[in-house]
Amino acid sequence: MARRSPTRVIGGRLLQALPVILLATFMVFALLKLVPGDIAVTLAGDNATDARITEIRKVYGLDRPFLVQYGAWLANVVQGDLSQSLLTGEKVATSISRAFPNTLLIVAIALVLALVTGIPMGVIAAIKPDGWVDKTVSMIASLGVAIPGFWLAMILVAEISLKLNWLPATGAKSFSVSPIEAIRHALLPGIAIAAYGMAEVARQLRGSLLEVLSSQYVRTLHAKGLSMTRILWQHGLKNVSVNLFTIISILVNRMLAATVVIEAVFAIPGLGSLIVRGAIQRDFPIVQGVVFTMVIVVILVNLIADLLCAAVDPRIEQ
Amino acid sequence: MTQTTRREVMALISGALAGATLGGHAFAQGTPKRGGILRISAPANPSSLDPATGGAGSDHAFLFTMYDTLTEWDFETLKPKPGLAESWTFSDPTTLVLNIRSGVTFHDGTPLDAEAVKFNLERNKRDPKSNIKADLAAMESAAVTGPLQVTLKLSTPDAALPGILSDRAGMMVSPAAVKASAAGNVARTPVGAGAYAFVSWADGEKIVIKRNEKYWKPNRPYPDGIEFSIIPELTTGSRSVTAGQNDLMYQLPPRQKAIVERASSIKIFNGPTLYVFQIFLNWAKPPFDNIKVRQAFNFAIDRETFVKAALAGLAEPAYMNLPKAHWAYDKSVAGLYPYDPDKAKKLLIEAGFKDGLPIELVGYPDQDSVQRQEILIEQFRKAGMNVRFLNAPIAEASAAFFGAEKRGSGILAAWTGRPDPSLTYSLMFTKDAYYNGGRGAVPPELEAAIKESRASEDIELRRKAFATVQRLVMENAFVAPLAFQFELVAMNKKVQGYRPNLLGKPKYDDVWLES
Repeated sequence: MARRSPTRVIGGRLLQALPVILLATFMVFALLKLVPGDIAVTLAGDNATDARITEIRKVYGLDRPFLVQYGAWLANVVQGDLSQSLLTGEKVATSISRAFPNTLLIVAIALVLALVTGIPMGVIAAIKPDGWVDKTVSMIASLGVAIPGFWLAMILVAEISLKLNWLPATGAKSFSVSPIEAIRHALLPGIAIAAYGMAEVARQLRGSLLEVLSSQYVRTLHAKGLSMTRILWQHGLKNVSVNLFTIISILVNRMLAATVVIEAVFAIPGLGSLIVRGAIQRDFPIVQGVVFTMVIVVILVNLIADLLCAAVDPRIEQ
Repeated sequence: MTQTTRREVMALISGALAGATLGGHAFAQGTPKRGGILRISAPANPSSLDPATGGAGSDHAFLFTMYDTLTEWDFETLKPKPGLAESWTFSDPTTLVLNIRSGVTFHDGTPLDAEAVKFNLERNKRDPKSNIKADLAAMESAAVTGPLQVTLKLSTPDAALPGILSDRAGMMVSPAAVKASAAGNVARTPVGAGAYAFVSWADGEKIVIKRNEKYWKPNRPYPDGIEFSIIPELTTGSRSVTAGQNDLMYQLPPRQKAIVERASSIKIFNGPTLYVFQIFLNWAKPPFDNIKVRQAFNFAIDRETFVKAALAGLAEPAYMNLPKAHWAYDKSVAGLYPYDPDKAKKLLIEAGFKDGLPIELVGYPDQDSVQRQEILIEQFRKAGMNVRFLNAPIAEASAAFFGAEKRGSGILAAWTGRPDPSLTYSLMFTKDAYYNGGRGAVPPELEAAIKESRASEDIELRRKAFATVQRLVMENAFVAPLAFQFELVAMNKKVQGYRPNLLGKPKYDDVWLES
């Protein structure tokens, strides 16, 4: 079977992403419009009258049919303009480009922490299954899955920020201005999200590694006299790496979703806070812009994961 | 303002603060000094930094720092006092003459003169994007009658105007800035004449302002600037103060007070405000179309207990829409609805509900709101009313109740104060007002009394007019007021000179930072 060139593969995947983007933004737009609550009321302010609210709908084009409003938004997007907040007039692209790095840093830290802790745990547990190490790992992993991130976040703030005063309790700093300060601010939220990731990585890795280690060819390798370390590094981990990439791509998407809550706890002005504010105020250009960005990120992450999987395992057809 | 009322105010304000409010500068422990950046945790992103086009009551905390107003108010009673207008007179009931202070300039260096005031008032009244047209409904025209004098012609007598000009309608924006910006939109590029000049605004994140070096008030402001961090999650906001990332936080939730006070570096100021928790009623449909049911509803509420249980005691029980400290408070109206479940039951029977009455109210789903609802449900149950709450997020719930849907018979929400009480009453208790959820009919004598409250500028006459308004509203039981929330402000100990005010929207006039 002739393999297609990577550029064609990537191009094809991005084309497939178009309907996903359309569907996602349309559904979110529809949800925002179907749910009661009206930005015109917010815009009209504290001294609202019915007449004023009607007038505002006109001034801001909110009285147009639903599909026309979505079409207008889409037409702008096609021209590279995510339009602007109905409430404050800030360009949505400006809001997103300011918020995105904050979210990205948290997710990056969380992912690194989850892998650095989760991989060794999974490996150790798989080497001696059902031993006390394995049981401890299983217990920690279960806790990691069960503990809600926001609860962990508050405990971390209470102990590490308020009592010990080691790390800041709230806010974010720009990575480009001061990388160290930025990481200090993102560390606690990163840990709060990483707990779940660590548990997931450890559990999944243990499972798939166990499967590999109990397979016949590993028994052959043992019989050939290869050491456990070599079997593990040369054969075991390479074979589970496909699973690992898949887990990572799912994790990144989950972590992005988790930032919605975690950013509120730590007062981090990221994408999560942005979409919450937009949704509460029914400021739909903001919500649409963030959803649009998130969909693209998710599609990219999945694409990269697929490409990596294909790179380590030639059997996978693009 | 009588001394008695002033003393009552003091009784409400915590001991430590009492000295502060009474003694003007005596409160400051040391001499105010200049310098430092005041870092504030603010709970909401502003809707706009243009006073004319914005809408949220939470905007004022930013607007007051950048825009000075034609009139200002007394912190304790909200009586209007001179601001950018150093004096005003009604030369006849429909003519208001404003004399503008000389030598004041906007942050862009242009003069704040009669022309600028006229420009602003006309913009507020006529610009299609202006949200405050109704505030200036009585103003027919504004004319420049001297380099520093503006004369307003009114269509009807409106004694509320001096108070109204202490709020959005009186905030002066630089005409040059409005003319220079596209479509006159200065929402993100505010230029005023206030104590601080705008530097930057990152939505939902940060607002930075710096000292106006040419500010007209001597020696003010003390800090070099203010940085507002926008933190909607109030628990997180208070943590940012205890952990030292911010110096001050306003709108501290009552339940957080005890927790924050554990930090030895933090002090908390509190004082009564006009912000009132209340149940708005729809008196255009059953069961509240029956006055006896509305009265029974009001008799069923134990407001003292509500304050203790739901608001940690940090509130004033509300029997009408003005708190004790307000200049137009009327004591006799406050006695209309003592807690009396038996009387409530009796009224229900008279109204034909022998076997109890189910009532559906609209509410909000957050933790504090639900706690308030649970306490009230129990109180109503004792008076034979089975109250059920249909909860939805604020935007949805209020649109459903006040808008076209007419969901529920009432809504447990709040009313933020207005600079002049006539606004409070006309926005809720006139036939077509948006906050009259059912758009129900109102007795003509109430509409007349609201009008009357604007007829004379004499404060004693106005007080009498408001007494009538309040009595009519409460006798008809068009609303069930619950409690006036205290303003709770937490700050670290280096913040000096902060004073709470009755409007409950913070001003930082005399604040300075100890180094």
